[in-house]
Amino acid sequence: MLRSFDTNPELAIVCDQIAKKFYYTPHRIQSVREAFIRAIRRQLPEKRDPIFALEPFDMTVRRGEVVALIGPNGSGKSTALRLLAGIYAPTSGQIKLRGRSAAVIELGAGFNNELPGKANIQLYGTLMGMGRAVIRERYNEIVEFADIGPYINAPVKMYSSGMRARLAFAVTICLQPDILFLDEVLSVGDLGFRKKCAQRLHSFIDKGGTLVMATHDLEDIRRFASHVIWFEHGRVLMEGPTEQVLKEYTAPDVEEGEA
Amino acid sequence: MDVQVYPIKRTTLGHLRELWAYRELVAGLVSRNLKIKYQDSILGFVWALLNPLLTVLVLTIVFSRIVRLDVEQYWAFLLSGYFVWHFITQSISAATFLLVQHAEISRSIAYPQEASIVAAAISRLIEFAMEMTLILLALLIFRHHGQLPIGYLAVPWLVVIMFIMVLAVMLPLATLSVYYRDVYHGLPLVLTMFFYITPVFYPAVFVTGPLRVIYFCNPLVHLLTAFHKACYEGVLPSLWACAGLTAGGLVALLLGYVFFNHFKAAYAEIL
Repeated sequence: MLRSFDTNPELAIVCDQIAKKFYYTPHRIQSVREAFIRAIRRQLPEKRDPIFALEPFDMTVRRGEVVALIGPNGSGKSTALRLLAGIYAPTSGQIKLRGRSAAVIELGAGFNNELPGKANIQLYGTLMGMGRAVIRERYNEIVEFADIGPYINAPVKMYSSGMRARLAFAVTICLQPDILFLDEVLSVGDLGFRKKCAQRLHSFIDKGGTLVMATHDLEDIRRFASHVIWFEHGRVLMEGPTEQVLKEYTAPDVEEGEA
Repeated sequence: MDVQVYPIKRTTLGHLRELWAYRELVAGLVSRNLKIKYQDSILGFVWALLNPLLTVLVLTIVFSRIVRLDVEQYWAFLLSGYFVWHFITQSISAATFLLVQHAEISRSIAYPQEASIVAAAISRLIEFAMEMTLILLALLIFRHHGQLPIGYLAVPWLVVIMFIMVLAVMLPLATLSVYYRDVYHGLPLVLTMFFYITPVFYPAVFVTGPLRVIYFCNPLVHLLTAFHKACYEGVLPSLWACAGLTAGGLVALLLGYVFFNHFKAAYAEIL
């Protein structure tokens, strides 16, 4: 599968059996007492059971395709997104991406509260690996899209959460990535801004942009996604065309089974 | 379009290239650090000077009036070493909380995390450069030196050595602080100890006795002595000492960077 990625330029993302395990304390001695006992018994710190494991899964996304990740809280959606965005290193398996990717995982992480919106645009942009010249060039576009009025000159600590979301999303989308990862970010912001985001995302996709998003909003999924992956307890329970998966996902007996 | 493969396997050179690609981020973080520190502050940069200057004043009174140390113009001697010590402690302490401070960013954006550490060291270095300039001027204005001493020529090199040595300690220390909070709590104790076994408020030549050999194993002894030679005595420091410190510092920096990178991929999930 990874080999086909190299020869097929239409593929944007390929995951080959990627898995992730989290340990509360990976191979780490927690106290002096434990270290002392282990030293006497000549034992190495034991590897504890992972507190969360994302089971190996495959994924193939074409250029211009939109994939939605669904599932209850703690099912592994965000972990999967972070693996794709290169924030976490997979425990096993391999991921290949074509083009520049950007992720909005925690809204406004990377903003500095003391600095005004203006300076934060620069900082946030460079954090995502953009050059200052490019950011300066798109600066007006970003400010216009965020549309937060005079607040752009105020320190970010004075922003409402909606305004933070607007600015973060504006910077990310205006820097024109090839692949975009969104974690539950479309649901913030007022109606007007959500409409604007939707428009912008549609034009992003039309231009060949690839989108992977984790969300609980079924309406957003129907509007954007052509393919859905359903996570449950770190496993891919089902994947396929949007309507097919959503039909199962919203079926009443499954809801009961969850509870 | 370029292809990105995860998990990333990079050599040390690859990590350096990545950091270089993010040089504008480092510059941005440096200006952020300085801006935040001095915005909404009337005295601004004066605060950066005031704190160490006050310590110098107290130490001068104690060791030239109360306990007499046999050092001529003791104030000049203190000025030429204390600010170096101040830079070292401040930068190294910052390394123990920087990654924790940037945890939120690490969990949502993939970026070379050493950038925040390098930026912290550089922003402190900019302040230090201003402090040092003022000190060198003060030593001339208050007639410690009758004319421009040749030792001043060596100061830029010494500052570079100091920066390399500090960065070499900061990187592995930052890694350890991710895994063990003890580093954060324990460092002040270690630094207090080093304040006494490093020639900050007394010259290294005062050290005699059988423990002398161990004492001179501390590389900071040689760094501080070089600063004393260049600024206080106004003569060129020993070339061998400087070359040795540079070489040793670079090796330590390389090892520290390798150590930092070895654990880098895990910071986002542990923090």
